[in-house]
Amino acid sequence: MSTGTITPYRSGQEPGRDDFPHLLRAEWTKFRTVRGWLISLVAAALLTALAVVALAGVSNGSQNAGAHPAVAIGPGGEAVTDDFYFVHQPLAGNGSITVRVTSLHTELPLTTPAPHIAVPWAKAGIIIKASTRPGSAYAAVMATPAHGVRMQYDYTHDTAGLPGSVSAASPRWLRLTRSGDTITGYDSADGKHWAKIGTASLAGLPPTVQAGLLVTSPTLLVPNNTLSCRGGFCSAGTPAQTFARNSSDAPVATRATAAFDHVSLQGQQTGGAWRGGQIGFPTGVAFICGPGHSCPRTPAGSFKKSGGTFTLAGSGDIAPYVTVADPLGTVLKGSLVGLLTVIALGALFITAEYRRGLIRTTFAASPRRGRVLAAKAIVIGSVTFAAGLAGAAVALPIAERKLRSGGWASSVYPVWSLTSSRGLQIVVGTAGLLAVAAILALSAGAVLRRSAGAIAAVVVLLIVPLILGAVLPQGPADWVLRLTPAAAFGLQQGTPHYSQMTSVCQPINSCFPLAPWEGFGVLCVWAAAALGIAVFLLRRRDA
Amino acid sequence: MNALRAEGTTLREALHAEWTKLRTVPSTGWLLLTLIALTVGAGALATAVVKCPASCGEDTTKLSLTGILLGQAAVAVLAVLVMSGEYSNGMIRVTLTAVPRRVTALAAKAIILTGVVLAAGAVSVLGSVLAGRFILPGNGFTKAHGFLALSLGDGPTLRAAAGSVLYLALIALLSLGLATALRDSGASIAVMLGLLYIVPVLSDLGTLDPVWEHRLQRYGPMPAGLAIQATRNLRKLPIGPWPGLGVLAAWAAAALLAGGLLLRLRDA
Repeated sequence: MSTGTITPYRSGQEPGRDDFPHLLRAEWTKFRTVRGWLISLVAAALLTALAVVALAGVSNGSQNAGAHPAVAIGPGGEAVTDDFYFVHQPLAGNGSITVRVTSLHTELPLTTPAPHIAVPWAKAGIIIKASTRPGSAYAAVMATPAHGVRMQYDYTHDTAGLPGSVSAASPRWLRLTRSGDTITGYDSADGKHWAKIGTASLAGLPPTVQAGLLVTSPTLLVPNNTLSCRGGFCSAGTPAQTFARNSSDAPVATRATAAFDHVSLQGQQTGGAWRGGQIGFPTGVAFICGPGHSCPRTPAGSFKKSGGTFTLAGSGDIAPYVTVADPLGTVLKGSLVGLLTVIALGALFITAEYRRGLIRTTFAASPRRGRVLAAKAIVIGSVTFAAGLAGAAVALPIAERKLRSGGWASSVYPVWSLTSSRGLQIVVGTAGLLAVAAILALSAGAVLRRSAGAIAAVVVLLIVPLILGAVLPQGPADWVLRLTPAAAFGLQQGTPHYSQMTSVCQPINSCFPLAPWEGFGVLCVWAAAALGIAVFLLRRRDA
Repeated sequence: MNALRAEGTTLREALHAEWTKLRTVPSTGWLLLTLIALTVGAGALATAVVKCPASCGEDTTKLSLTGILLGQAAVAVLAVLVMSGEYSNGMIRVTLTAVPRRVTALAAKAIILTGVVLAAGAVSVLGSVLAGRFILPGNGFTKAHGFLALSLGDGPTLRAAAGSVLYLALIALLSLGLATALRDSGASIAVMLGLLYIVPVLSDLGTLDPVWEHRLQRYGPMPAGLAIQATRNLRKLPIGPWPGLGVLAAWAAAALLAGGLLLRLRDA
């Protein structure tokens, strides 16, 4: 007798479809039917808004620089610093000015003789300026000690020219030409071979402008007790180290001295004699400079002419007025509370399935595990994006209003409405930060399978670098904030920062070494890499 | 034959049970290794990147103990899992059947956890101080610049090192108390890490009302507790080293008290 083969049982039901829309729907159903998760999601939005508004409520701007006498209003309506020593003549119509810079020396004018101190962005060069009124339009080319020759105009624009510093052995020739509203800057190492650096278009430049030489040297922010002088040279530590460092950093005024020769002004001159004088804030007066500390007195400038050599000394800066504090950016750190909630949510979205064994059902229903994780990422990313968007959109206008009533003057700390590009960047950026952080946490959850470990790992990667950035000195701190996903917090920067000036760029002031969207890119790369590892492990391991 | 004892399990037996549970879970070993690796690694890295002619104002002891900032996250996870791990797999019912006195059960967990964290914490801190001792002189922190090699023979350094070990133990107890109250491991770790890491970020904003800033720095568990690591400019600290650690101890005591009360009052 032979036995027939046994036919295995087959269900008469149609096989279920595991196409992607169904998968998405399954994951969405899982999310919305867990009451705790929905509550957490709403809590994430509410906590974001509440924390930001509460921080704005206790933010105190009364000591701040709303009444800063040195603030001028630039051509774009923005707050600018326009303090320098100017030796000038009127220039009517088109023309040009050429000069050779043979030395540039910076010093600390506290004692006589004044000791040397490095000031990377001190400036010595030529300028064509609409008038001597602080804040008026200008274009300038200048030599700097550490950043080579620059062409700068209207406070926010900056183009690099010849690299290297100035000395008698390697002088710098500079030239500006005016043609209508257009000013072109050139530089040369020998006065024969000229290179164009850039052009500036200054709309509405009057027929007669002021053209001449400028010298200025910005105030340095020196961490407390780190200024040391030995043998005529001073050095200062990089700003660093303590919690609440703002109050421990002291601003120190500096002075630059530069020598010029081969000065030539061509055009329909109307003046004839060179006149020297301080532009902007008068020297020798102390003023309030930032939260908790007063600015040092601006040292006096001077002008000496012997033969064809002009020697100028001056202090100040021609630059955007950038405050140490960024009140809006810092109160937006309140969104960390919402961020923590969505990190927990993202991790639990998969670790809860492991804990309850639901993951086996999920993979039985949809054996293609990569697609399951993709569906989960889309669902958790979308819902957390929506929560972040709602929270930040509610928080921004209320926080702005509270900051104004808390004493942060709108002339210095700009107001961003929801429709302005920076306002939009803050709101959409905060939502994106929450969404990508949730996806990162989901991936960590898929890799570690335990909620506590996954949440802690993401918090250590994303939030702890903010603390390390405040504890480590500037250089290493910058690397931490470039490489870790915390770079994305730059999206919440409330006041713009400029590379053409030495400003203290620290995470506590919402200033990050990478540009906002680049920083967001770093977070996205981390999330994508984590998602890739998670898919790889999900496929390889048993569920 | 063993007679059933009506008086229940003694603390000694409960301790033995907790020790067995903790050492036989594979995650314990991994988390303690993570604690040591993160603390020593991050501390060594922090000392390696700071050079003296640039920033000689550095508190070298505090700098070499920077890794505690990261290592404490592993301690928090370990402590949360000791309690909420049992809630997630139902083990808690077995534990409380074996040790019906719930406060005894919690005390046993707290004692075993403290012992384990003190031991691993001591290894981490010693490793960090040793790394600092070898790395710092090469970065210009020499006698010429007024720095002696890190040594536990130096009073403030010993205080900072021993205090950092105690800090980790208190973090473990605070996490254990929180997890006992909240039960869920995800919620517990999120609240714990928020308390640890978000408070210092917020207190460091510099734009807050100075009164609020001062309060957060004096009473936040991490800023207050880590005051124990400072060896320079002690007068400028918002709170002194030992009072700061005391604030953290108060947090831990409050969390354990709340957790213990809830454990007694609620069904498991």
